[in-house]
Amino acid sequence: MTAVLIASNLVKDYPMSGDTVHALRGVSLVVQGAEYLAIAGPSGSGKSTLLQLLGGIDAPSSGTVEIMGTRLDTLSDRELTRLRLIRLGFVFQRFHLLPVLTARENVELPMAEAGMSPAARRARALELLGYVGLAHRAGHRATQLSGGEMQRVAIARALANRPAVLLADEPTGELDAATGEEILDLFTRLNRDGTTVVVVTHDDRLAAQAGRVIHMLDGRIDSEASLQTADQSTRYPAAPR
Amino acid sequence: MNEVALDQPVAAELGLSVGDTVYLGPAPDSATSPVRVVAIYQSRPDPAEVAKRERHLRLHLPFLARVLGAPDKVDRFSIGLNPHISSDSALAALNQNAFGYRAYGTAVIASESSQTFLVVSRFHRAIAVITVVASAVFLLCIMLLKVEERRLDAAVMRFVGVRRRTIFGALLLEATIIAALGCLVGTGLAWLAGLATNAYYGRFFNTALTFSRITPGIVAFSVVLSLLLGAGAGALAAWRLVRTRPMALWGRG
Amino acid sequence: MSGMSWLRRSLGRHPLRSALAVAGIAVSAAMLLDMVMLSGGIEKSFAQLVLARGFQIRLTPKGTLPFDTEATFPGAGRTIRMLRSEPAVQSAGAVLGTSLFGRARDSLVTLFGYGIQPEAQGLYSLEVGRDLLPDDTAGVLLSRPAARLLRTGVGDTVTLVGRLDPQVVTAQVSRKLAVRGLVRWVYDYKGQPSVGTILPVMQSLAHRAAGDRASLIMVKIRDDRAAGAVAARLSQMLPSLEVSSVADLVKQFKQRLVYFRQLSFILATMSLIVTVLLVATLLTITTNERLGEIATLRAIGLSRATIVRQVFLEGTTLTLIGGALGLTLGLATARYLDGILTSFPGLPAAFSFFVPRRESLSLAGLVLLVSGSLAGLYPAWLAARAPIAATLRAEAT
Repeated sequence: MTAVLIASNLVKDYPMSGDTVHALRGVSLVVQGAEYLAIAGPSGSGKSTLLQLLGGIDAPSSGTVEIMGTRLDTLSDRELTRLRLIRLGFVFQRFHLLPVLTARENVELPMAEAGMSPAARRARALELLGYVGLAHRAGHRATQLSGGEMQRVAIARALANRPAVLLADEPTGELDAATGEEILDLFTRLNRDGTTVVVVTHDDRLAAQAGRVIHMLDGRIDSEASLQTADQSTRYPAAPR
Repeated sequence: MNEVALDQPVAAELGLSVGDTVYLGPAPDSATSPVRVVAIYQSRPDPAEVAKRERHLRLHLPFLARVLGAPDKVDRFSIGLNPHISSDSALAALNQNAFGYRAYGTAVIASESSQTFLVVSRFHRAIAVITVVASAVFLLCIMLLKVEERRLDAAVMRFVGVRRRTIFGALLLEATIIAALGCLVGTGLAWLAGLATNAYYGRFFNTALTFSRITPGIVAFSVVLSLLLGAGAGALAAWRLVRTRPMALWGRG
Repeated sequence: MSGMSWLRRSLGRHPLRSALAVAGIAVSAAMLLDMVMLSGGIEKSFAQLVLARGFQIRLTPKGTLPFDTEATFPGAGRTIRMLRSEPAVQSAGAVLGTSLFGRARDSLVTLFGYGIQPEAQGLYSLEVGRDLLPDDTAGVLLSRPAARLLRTGVGDTVTLVGRLDPQVVTAQVSRKLAVRGLVRWVYDYKGQPSVGTILPVMQSLAHRAAGDRASLIMVKIRDDRAAGAVAARLSQMLPSLEVSSVADLVKQFKQRLVYFRQLSFILATMSLIVTVLLVATLLTITTNERLGEIATLRAIGLSRATIVRQVFLEGTTLTLIGGALGLTLGLATARYLDGILTSFPGLPAAFSFFVPRRESLSLAGLVLLVSGSLAGLYPAWLAARAPIAATLRAEAT
């Protein structure tokens, strides 16, 4: 396996009301291709900050992040944005879909930005919605969907440009247990189908699904464990590539 | 030598002073009648004349008539009545036998010669109405935006049991205070603008006329209207907010 | 999903908000449009009025404007002959303006009289009947208000009297004249009862010993472009007269009505400021509300340029729609305001304060569009510079 994501000695400090918050205190990490990594830990341990640095959303105070051989600190803002568009997929705790657009249009958004033709992106959007089990809701506005449905649309959107890595920040944080289970299944299936998945969570069930779990505490990696992942549900077809 | 009194701006423009001699005539090539400047006067500012920039001077009537070659002709008479005579009866008597002239009361003359300013007043009023309409729309839009910004706060308050009436009252109070502050600032701005207007046009037309006057009545009307519009806009925005279900405000309904 | 459908949906997200913004911009745009029409309209309308019959130069008593005073000048005939011998001059006609009276049944009504030279006149257009001949000493032309006042029509006879003497209660001059035609006098105010005879007849009716006096000479030159130069030359040749080209008259007129030009400038500026403020405030608040959404879009790979373009387009679209509505509203309010201002006493009925001209309307529209679009600069900048991570963190709390 080749490393798709390498983080070296990441430090992140935030000024806050005259003080400095040391969110990360020297974190190093390697994520292999097709790996399913969970980053767990209590609130304030720095896991979301780490995810944001890995995704190029934020810049470290020191240290480097490399995605598929490219160091993020050597990229301009435009190049970084482009990298996020075509190499990474993001899923957020609060879904963050555009409420004025339909499910299909939300999924199409990154593809439109990447320059895909309308016909091609429409077809792929429907395919992805089918993959997450929401083909029948393609024409509904985001505000007409339930929490779980919105998160699945968000996952479909994250997959739009065939990302090398899927980064998810507390994807089940706003969902009930049953819906959370569906999302767990989806992530497991994605990983089984070859997508590298990095999930930040304080949900033990989600962490238990991962192949490797990193526990963070006070801005450092506290412990690391590799787990055997059970073969999950075959309810859904294979992920479209 | 005959005498002339000059209006102050004319004397200043032509560089004349008391004792100087000027020559008058009915045409540019016949200004041959000498007159001596015996006085320089400041005429009362006349709004009807302010834009014309005419040059005025005063002569004895017989001399002027002689210079113009119309020795027994005048444009008008001014008549002062004895205290016990009513102007209506005097007018009636004069007009009964009038031939080639007509008698008018001073009030009628004033009214007729004010027509120009009545038109300007109507124009200003029309512009004011348009401005108020534009301001009202603008105000309503801003109030709506500001109130909608607080929808999450309103939702939480409803969740914890605060009544609609309380939220409405708080928003209305806020809107009214903002409107009142705006009135204060606006009144100050209007006063400054009035000063600037009078200073500018006073110099532009070289006159002591007042062009802008802010009376207590105007202030009262403007303040009341602004308060009504501001409070009204706030009330409408607040009403929209409180009649929305809390979950909808929260973004989940 | 196209950018335009995203734009349409974004503006439709809060329909009342967008509608109010459009309404506010429409009213401001209407005001801007009206003020642009006012500032250029006075000049354009007056120039059109002065050139209505194609006479580009006016000669009046020194220091006066046409019909501004009752002043007259002598030697009109001599001056006309001199002018007609000038190669640059195509035609020249003298006019005497005076007040006089007409007999209507048992009373005298006040009329305004024009003494004209019909072969070179620039004061009227014939509506009914026929024009005066140059030597027609027995004919008169009436305006419709005069005809109504005198209760007469084409072919009838009217009695015009002048030089009334109140002491002996008689008119020194009385002429019976046949109504040749009804005309529209170009410079008359609405309802003005005007009559016209050939110049010698009116000179005899004038309430002063007129002689060969005239109020005005109108001159038509062969080459429009040479009006200024010809006026300057005539001014030197005739130093006792005021020689004014159309440009000179327009300049003087503009000076008289300078207040309206200044007011139009101030109100136009304020309208633009209101538009800019409205669009900027709306977009700023909307952008602030959507910062989380914007941060997410940036996180998933949408470029700053895409976000900025979207914000700009929202501002531009609101301004476009508001401006289009404002155009219709502005034309309606212009008619209303023009109706007010044209009721100035003594103003020619053909004069308009609000004149729509394609160039100025286009310029106003362009300025409005650019201003409204630029109003999106600040909110677009807000959207572009929103730090992704910090914004997402703030949204999570």
